[in-house]
Amino acid sequence: MAHAAGLSLLASLDFGTLPSQVVNGVLNGAIYALIALGYTMVYGVLRLINFAHGEVYMLGAYTALFVSWAYGFRPDVPPDQLPESTLLTLLVMMLASMAVCAGVGVVIERFAYRPMRNQARISSLITAIGVSLLLQYGGGLFLPQNPPPTMNERVNPYRQTLELTLVRAPQELTTAVENARQLAQRSEAAFQERLKLEKDRFNLSPEGERLRDAKFEAERQLREAESRRNTAQVTVRVGAGRLAILVASLALMFLLRQLVLFTPTGRAMRAVSQDFDSAALMGVNVDRIVTITFVIGSALAGAGAMMTATFLGTSISPYYGVLPGVKAFVAAVLGGIGNIPGAVLGGILMGVAETLVIWAGYSQFADAVAFVVLIVVLLFRPGGLLGSSAVEKV
Amino acid sequence: MHKAVPIRAASIVLGLLGCWGLDLLCRAFLRDSEQRLVVLAGLYVTLAVSLNLINGIAGQFSIGHAAFYQIGAYTAGYLAFFFYLQSPLQGVGWLLAMLALGMATAALAGLVVGLPSLRLRGDYLAIVTLGFGEIIRIVVQAIDLTTPAGEQVGGALGMSVEPRIRIVGLVWLFALAAIAVSRNLCKSSHGLALLSIREDEIASAAMGVQVAKMKVAAFMIGSAFAGGAGVLLAHSESFISPSMFPMDLSFIVLTMVVLRGSGAITGSVVAALTLFYVPEYLRGLKAADGTALTVTGATLVGWILAVIAAVVAVRWIAYQYRGPRKTRLAGYAATFFGALLVGRALGWAFSFFPALSGASYEVQKLRMVIFAASLIIIMLLRPEGVLGRHEFSWDWLARALRIRRPREAVG
Repeated sequence: MAHAAGLSLLASLDFGTLPSQVVNGVLNGAIYALIALGYTMVYGVLRLINFAHGEVYMLGAYTALFVSWAYGFRPDVPPDQLPESTLLTLLVMMLASMAVCAGVGVVIERFAYRPMRNQARISSLITAIGVSLLLQYGGGLFLPQNPPPTMNERVNPYRQTLELTLVRAPQELTTAVENARQLAQRSEAAFQERLKLEKDRFNLSPEGERLRDAKFEAERQLREAESRRNTAQVTVRVGAGRLAILVASLALMFLLRQLVLFTPTGRAMRAVSQDFDSAALMGVNVDRIVTITFVIGSALAGAGAMMTATFLGTSISPYYGVLPGVKAFVAAVLGGIGNIPGAVLGGILMGVAETLVIWAGYSQFADAVAFVVLIVVLLFRPGGLLGSSAVEKV
Repeated sequence: MHKAVPIRAASIVLGLLGCWGLDLLCRAFLRDSEQRLVVLAGLYVTLAVSLNLINGIAGQFSIGHAAFYQIGAYTAGYLAFFFYLQSPLQGVGWLLAMLALGMATAALAGLVVGLPSLRLRGDYLAIVTLGFGEIIRIVVQAIDLTTPAGEQVGGALGMSVEPRIRIVGLVWLFALAAIAVSRNLCKSSHGLALLSIREDEIASAAMGVQVAKMKVAAFMIGSAFAGGAGVLLAHSESFISPSMFPMDLSFIVLTMVVLRGSGAITGSVVAALTLFYVPEYLRGLKAADGTALTVTGATLVGWILAVIAAVVAVRWIAYQYRGPRKTRLAGYAATFFGALLVGRALGWAFSFFPALSGASYEVQKLRMVIFAASLIIIMLLRPEGVLGRHEFSWDWLARALRIRRPREAVG
């Protein structure tokens, strides 16, 4: 019984779309990675789970929405009067989101987390939960949410779908499809010709029935040939907007890497994350570094929020950041929290795992798979994939 | 006879009588909706005390407590759906049986969650418990069984639990049991082992504490009580759905535990009651003419500014001011009344701006905002928890009432 169930499960999977799904998973993962970077950087510096990060992301999405309204993409404008969107529009939206998020992040750090820095860590965690709830429910009071607004799809200039053939089918399969298609067209034409002579369309003469059956047979052969060709060739279909997300995320991550590895600020940041107190003793202005960390982390979340809101067109609500926030946090832990490459790796793994679960037909469990992966990984590597699980010394 | 026995016996009798009395009072004076609130308050107390066992006493950072609550509730829900009509147990007997079964199931789940805690610590453990909570919620949401008769049970829309059994006294008796178990555990050698694990895991292992066993035991006991609370919830509400157990619920229970101070049980109870009743009170607020109470933007902004000013002032007095205790207390009082005055005055002043006085907000919608804001404020002002380490005991009561007793009489 179980064997049969396994077979039917395999049979129901469409392996032709698998490469597309993996690519889309990576693209989804890029967003998780962007948000996870914010979690992991703050954790690296302060050892604090910044629960309000998801809400910062939500505010970024709203900012992008408001900027697009200011550009004239309001929901009450009829479609033929909408302005054209360009790359510049998108850039302005992204910069505005990043700026607002960075501002919110700095305010949260200054007024909620800094006073708690010398207290037990659980108190700052509760403060973080408080800030997160405050932004959610406060947003529910002041932000438009009924009905949940969506970004106008015309804001996104990249709406086409790109198709890329990775492996071509063998020549004979392609010609077989061509032949079958011609045969199908001929028999269809013959049948239509015959249909004009028939008196009753629903009660065909023997000659008409013969032609009709020949037409059905030709169509069936065409479908078979096509499916043989499709299994043999590998194509990837990706929305252009998702590619834009990937390009922008990679650019931002590259900038972050350069900043962390090759600037004095980046060096100070690494020092603070290694040892907070020693870094302070060595003359690092710790408060400034923490502020910069919040600026960068929140700005990345803002960029991610703007891109999901624009390119994926999900509807925005005050709870927009809860699930992405939790999943990104899981991604950060998966990669090893406090570790920047780990966050990117974790985010991409998370995106792929989730997309594959949906592909396998278990979309109702898509939100749970993130946690299952996390628990399994942590059982074998308690410090995360790239994290160091240092042995505790007494 | 041990000296503590009379006090213990008296406590048990008092507890039973108190619950019975509460039950009688509720039946006599309270409407159905108000009884529901009393039941929910008892359940929250149970949840907070049981999480306190894991989080405060054993020091294992768990933020997925709603999962165990949900497991208990759904155990009761499914069993009642499939077996209640055939079962020889009816009414209260059934409820007690379910209570035992729900506790067992949740304890089993606690075992599953407790095992990773052997390898993980701190934030990693926290995120695994959070993940476990979410997995449970999503799985429960995704399962909908169809009975042979074609009825659907469970799933995202929830299920109804028949019969509805709401016994206020039993709920509070269960809460008292949770309190008694954690209190007695704290006084026993096992409890001391747990406390030592909280303070330093490596040191306590070196002293011969069986760290793994104790940690898992704490998880199992804590989750068993949460599961029992879930059973009581299912039969009292007579309806359960996955949306009744969101992540926020785990956070709120965690907050109740942290606000109480370090490991203190009394504080957990007080915090649970306060955090439960304040939002409910705000929900029930009505204007004089019976419509929903609203505030204008002017009042709101005025109060926000006044509260911020008060927080700054209190923090200054608490951390910077080096005067005698009396001036300090006077300063707190002055800040309190000053904030009241300033809030009123600013609200009046802002009402001259039409943009502010024109906007109006319902107090009901504000309640969660107030809840979150007060959380941050309490943490900013008293990070060690409202009650600190103070703990209720008969001894303390006697001292408070200035009854002198010989020291040996205390167990």
